Amino acid sequence: MSEPTWHTVTVTIPLLSEEHARIAKQVLDVDRELQPHAVKRVLEVQGNNLIAKLSTLTIRLARLSTNAFLENIDLIVHTLDEFGTQ
Amino acid sequence: MPGTFKRSPLKRPERPYIALGLEGSANKLGAGIIKHDSDGSTTVLSNVRHTYITPPGEGFLPQDTARHHRQWIHSVIKDSLKQAGVEIHDLDCICFTKGPGMGAPLQSVALVARTLALMFDKPLVGVNHCVGHIEMGRQITGAQNPVVLYVSGGNTQVIAYSQQRYRIFGETLDIAVGNCLDRFARVINLSNDPSPGYNIEQEAKKGKKLLPLPYTTKGMDLSLSGILSTTEAYTYDKRFSQTVEPSPESDTITPADLCFSLQETVFAMLVEITERAMAHIGSKEVLIVGGVGCNERLQDMMGIMARERGGNVFATDERFCIDNGIMIAQAGLLSYRMGSVTPLSETSCTQRFRTDQVHVAWRA
Repeated sequence: MSEPTWHTVTVTIPLLSEEHARIAKQVLDVDRELQPHAVKRVLEVQGNNLIAKLSTLTIRLARLSTNAFLENIDLIVHTLDEFGTQ
Repeated sequence: MPGTFKRSPLKRPERPYIALGLEGSANKLGAGIIKHDSDGSTTVLSNVRHTYITPPGEGFLPQDTARHHRQWIHSVIKDSLKQAGVEIHDLDCICFTKGPGMGAPLQSVALVARTLALMFDKPLVGVNHCVGHIEMGRQITGAQNPVVLYVSGGNTQVIAYSQQRYRIFGETLDIAVGNCLDRFARVINLSNDPSPGYNIEQEAKKGKKLLPLPYTTKGMDLSLSGILSTTEAYTYDKRFSQTVEPSPESDTITPADLCFSLQETVFAMLVEITERAMAHIGSKEVLIVGGVGCNERLQDMMGIMARERGGNVFATDERFCIDNGIMIAQAGLLSYRMGSVTPLSETSCTQRFRTDQVHVAWRA
């Protein structure tokens, strides 16, 4: 039996402040990945940056999970922008 | 038991409460703001909705619907705040649809709800979509204890309230009645603007023939997928024609005749299972909620049955029976006033969320 090889993608999203990065991490951490045995997602805040490390068992899952993450963080960033000045 | 009077556990608020409700379980994206005043009144401050409408012949798919919601949610929320004349700071809670519904669209709305809640330090209240429909229907119509017929594109249930739960008396065994109507509208290429159900209703008014279709009530429940298949099969019949005018004398089958036959059959089935529930619990009132509740033919047929039983039918207009944010705000605020809050870690959405899973704490 050979060890499964993981494909990894690291995405760094700079936000306006550390507080915004923390909010984004908290919001995204609520939902599990749809295939938790095949996709691992770990989020980290470093300064103003949100860093996502995705590890997947297939290249297709790497594309799908990265795309989903980017769509979601885009939505959160837009929300922070649109309502942040209120 | 006769003579037992149950006082509502919901006390009059000591000050006004305001809630924002966000809805996006299907192709309708809604944001609504509701106020519960200290005099016991409930006011709709705003009710904004934007619908994802697909071209004729096409239904809406989860990814595209979620994309639509992501594109429109900020402007819909801003419009609802502006029309209500409130800011997010003024809200007591942010309510959102936890389920049931389509996964990706639900999640898109939940992400925004969570972000706003964290930005402004507001509690979140996850709401069951079906309970939202029921509570808004009760609020608008003032119906006391009706049998509820909840009919939409995603759900078809006959519901009655008992001991702090909305109990499901009967339901569809396969597809929802709105889904059946919408899918047939696609087969005959009706426009989806403003909704396929509305266009089927107008087309049905031109029908002149009642064609035989299977009548499939199953005790307290009903089945709809067979009727859909049979109606679709008629469009392959050699007597079917899209261009000829409907006429009771000729042999041709037109789309209008099929719309008419489909509506008459499925609505009669809905009336039957609703009447069965009414007979069980001795109720005289029917409240119709959900998008298909806008259909005037269904309201008429239900009215005939209700009046024969010495009762009446309650229904709301399209502002409230079609999916909207205000119903989520209403059900959410009732829940919040009874002390219920959804912790952030529990704000995931779920596609399967039964109506009777909700503890209706705000009723006796």
